[in-house]
Amino acid sequence: MLNSILLRILTLAILWIGLGVLTIDNMAGNQFIWQAAAFSLLVLIGVFIEFFLGYDGDTNLFPVVLTIIVIGLVFLIRINPAMAVDQFIWANIGLMAYYGVLFGLRDYKKLGQYQYLWGLAALLLLVLTLIFGVTIYGATNSIRVGSIGFQPEELVKIALLLFMASYLDINKELLRIGTVQVGRFSLPDKRTLGPYIIIGMFVLGILAAQKSLGTALVFFLLMVFIIYMVTERFIYLLMSLPVIVVSGTLGYFLFGHVRVRVAIWLDPWIDATGGGYQIAQSLFAISGGRILGTGLGNGIGAYQIPFPETDFIFAVIAEEIGFVGAMAVISLFIIVVMRAFAVSIKAVDRFGQILAAGIGILIGVEALIILAGVTKMLPLTGIPLPWMSYGGSSMLVHCILLGILANISHNSSFSISDIQVGKRVGVL
Amino acid sequence: MTGGIRKIALIMVFSFVFLSLGLVYWQVVNADTMLENPANRRTILLEKRIIRGGIYDVNGVALAETRIDGTSKERVYPQGETFQPLLGYASLEYGSAGLEAALAENLLGLNDNSLVREVQDSFDLERRGNDVILTIDSRLQKTAYDGLKGKAGAVVAIDPRNGDVLALVSQPSFDANTLEKDWEAILNKAGSPLLNHAFSHFPPGSIMKVITSAALFRAGQDMTDIYNCEGSTIINGQIIQDGQAHGWVNYDLALAYSCNTYFAVHGIDAGQDIFLQAVSGFGFGREIPFELYVPPSSITKDESLPANLEINLFAESTFGQGQVMISPFHIALITAGIANKGEIMTPHLIDRVINTKQNIIYESQPELWLTALSTDEAEKIKSGMILAVNEGTASPGALPEIQVAAKTGSAEPGGNKTTHAWFIAFAPADDPQIAVAVLVEHGGSGGGAAAPIAKAVIEKALERKVGDS
Repeated sequence: MLNSILLRILTLAILWIGLGVLTIDNMAGNQFIWQAAAFSLLVLIGVFIEFFLGYDGDTNLFPVVLTIIVIGLVFLIRINPAMAVDQFIWANIGLMAYYGVLFGLRDYKKLGQYQYLWGLAALLLLVLTLIFGVTIYGATNSIRVGSIGFQPEELVKIALLLFMASYLDINKELLRIGTVQVGRFSLPDKRTLGPYIIIGMFVLGILAAQKSLGTALVFFLLMVFIIYMVTERFIYLLMSLPVIVVSGTLGYFLFGHVRVRVAIWLDPWIDATGGGYQIAQSLFAISGGRILGTGLGNGIGAYQIPFPETDFIFAVIAEEIGFVGAMAVISLFIIVVMRAFAVSIKAVDRFGQILAAGIGILIGVEALIILAGVTKMLPLTGIPLPWMSYGGSSMLVHCILLGILANISHNSSFSISDIQVGKRVGVL
Repeated sequence: MTGGIRKIALIMVFSFVFLSLGLVYWQVVNADTMLENPANRRTILLEKRIIRGGIYDVNGVALAETRIDGTSKERVYPQGETFQPLLGYASLEYGSAGLEAALAENLLGLNDNSLVREVQDSFDLERRGNDVILTIDSRLQKTAYDGLKGKAGAVVAIDPRNGDVLALVSQPSFDANTLEKDWEAILNKAGSPLLNHAFSHFPPGSIMKVITSAALFRAGQDMTDIYNCEGSTIINGQIIQDGQAHGWVNYDLALAYSCNTYFAVHGIDAGQDIFLQAVSGFGFGREIPFELYVPPSSITKDESLPANLEINLFAESTFGQGQVMISPFHIALITAGIANKGEIMTPHLIDRVINTKQNIIYESQPELWLTALSTDEAEKIKSGMILAVNEGTASPGALPEIQVAAKTGSAEPGGNKTTHAWFIAFAPADDPQIAVAVLVEHGGSGGGAAAPIAKAVIEKALERKVGDS
């Protein structure tokens, strides 16, 4: 109890110090004091809820994510105060969603009962987006309800993860051993692998149609990594290679903007004021940060890079708190991903294991793709950095995923002790 | 499945490590290269948020300051045109030039990369650049400016003992206070006001003779030997002319009367190897180590320091015609070198740099650049220059109580245009404290157009020295 209060206070200190610096610098209005107070209160209430309801899961996961959220909030205030106001609201909603899922969801195992329903839900959400979606910056990936825009593809992440976890849970053995012999390799038959591939193809196809190429890449890697993890068969990684080559080539020749992206990636300096502007500005900001950074509020990236609050928030962070700060952020993500795997290993049932590791893979892949994009290690595909980038849907969905992860962790430690005392209890 | 999880975990960790290497590449390895990328607007943007430090003369007179009025900042140049184009400008619209550009790192406080400073930067929210104190004395600058105003040309005054640049005037000039408003007018004004004429190339004319002298000495020629100047001579079929027949002259008299034939004949005698070596010793063909860029002086159009000179061109070069090109700034340095017993000190404009906490973060030190002459050689040239003031062409530069050593030049710019008037001088001759070079473009004779300006500057400088003690 004392330990978790201490961890949260440390985390909240980052928020208040950052807010303090920005306030002195006249970059943050007074309204943020109330926003930060509400957020802090909610965090502290959470500790007591955890205590009274007897949370028994991983104690590091949440404080680490909270640190990521808080750094994101500080930088959003610095980059765009108006957007930061929204983000505070979404962060609060996210916190409540986290606790809602952690304690409200009686048993995560029930989620595994609706495997095809999740698959269908994922497809339905994407189809709806394709029909009713609004096109913003080339991608048709948000739906507007009144004044609030929502990105269903974020929700699809939950649905798809649940589908994959429950599906692989049931079909693990068949996928692992295989029933059809092709040369040296034994492959699973159509009926076993079929639904997984069909739903996967549909999801990726619709995302490609929406031109949400970054998200498509995330989902593709997620599916490949999960099936490899579950079966431990290298052939699934190998099989994905021709898919990458073919779809990459197809994308290159079908979509004009893919060609442009690749050309810019290969040499952004040729047209640093035109097509290469984004990535060039991102790199100028990052390199300008050097080791210790320019200091919070002193960078130029926040004004120079397009979309500093979403895709490029990491470039602004790397500039203003330098290599040291950027490495700290990367480390936080490594910790979250590794904790997710730890939760997975300790989970009592296979569904929980796959789901927890899947969440870890998802977060890791998302962070890697966007971070590699802003540092020009991969062609840039605009996706949000989990918990940091501006965006309500992403914040909410990742908080729900964190809730699921905590729930699995909570239920597994619980069960081990139950098994030891030899009794079976429902929940909590 | 645990094995699978571990493998995936490894893949993830390696990917993140790889990503970190990317950060090392951009933030550590490549940080400087990126700053130099022309598309990187970091320095220009920093300008908006950093209060540019001030530029002051050696006595603390403000030459350029940033005045803050509420939220707006304004760069003001209290001395108007006097210090232009030396100071230059720093404009968001038109970029920067002159010292404002050359000293940007200091003025914006970017060159202080200590760890302490970096940590301070993270919390210290008010940012101010460093102040730069120049070696320029605004009183000398004003005197030189007043003398040259309305003409085109340059005046450079240097302390020969340490290389301090005391005055650096170029005409025509402009007012940087109204630069953005008057940009078009300044660009279209005759005489290139944005260009610093002290760093532009001109033929040196007879000023070159002090340089050629070194070749004569080194060839072992006897300086007391007399030569009969008949007003003209023919070398390799080319007629070398003097304005008048100087009669029988020795070296001192030849320099004092500025006898072309003497230097052509004796220069050719000394040979091109010794001549080119001497010229190189004075810094021809070298970049001058200085805060501002000065193009290297050159002997021919194609090569600043050729290995071979065609004989007619060589003959013309000995008295500073032909294709010899030099900047007034370099000539001032050579004058300072003669004054300083043959040692040319590295010139500098920055006296010291002071940070916001009034600590000196940089202070210039006297440093030898070139040893152009031996003490003995320098003495010989000096005696010729003294004679030039007392009895020769440089007499308009004489001062009543102080012995001045000087040399005139009237360089033919080519075509039928009026000659460029040159005058170099240092004083007092026995203990030189100031060396001056004056160029009045198309001003006629050195003694007539340029000497009075040099004289006024020397007078001002030495009056100040007397007053100081």
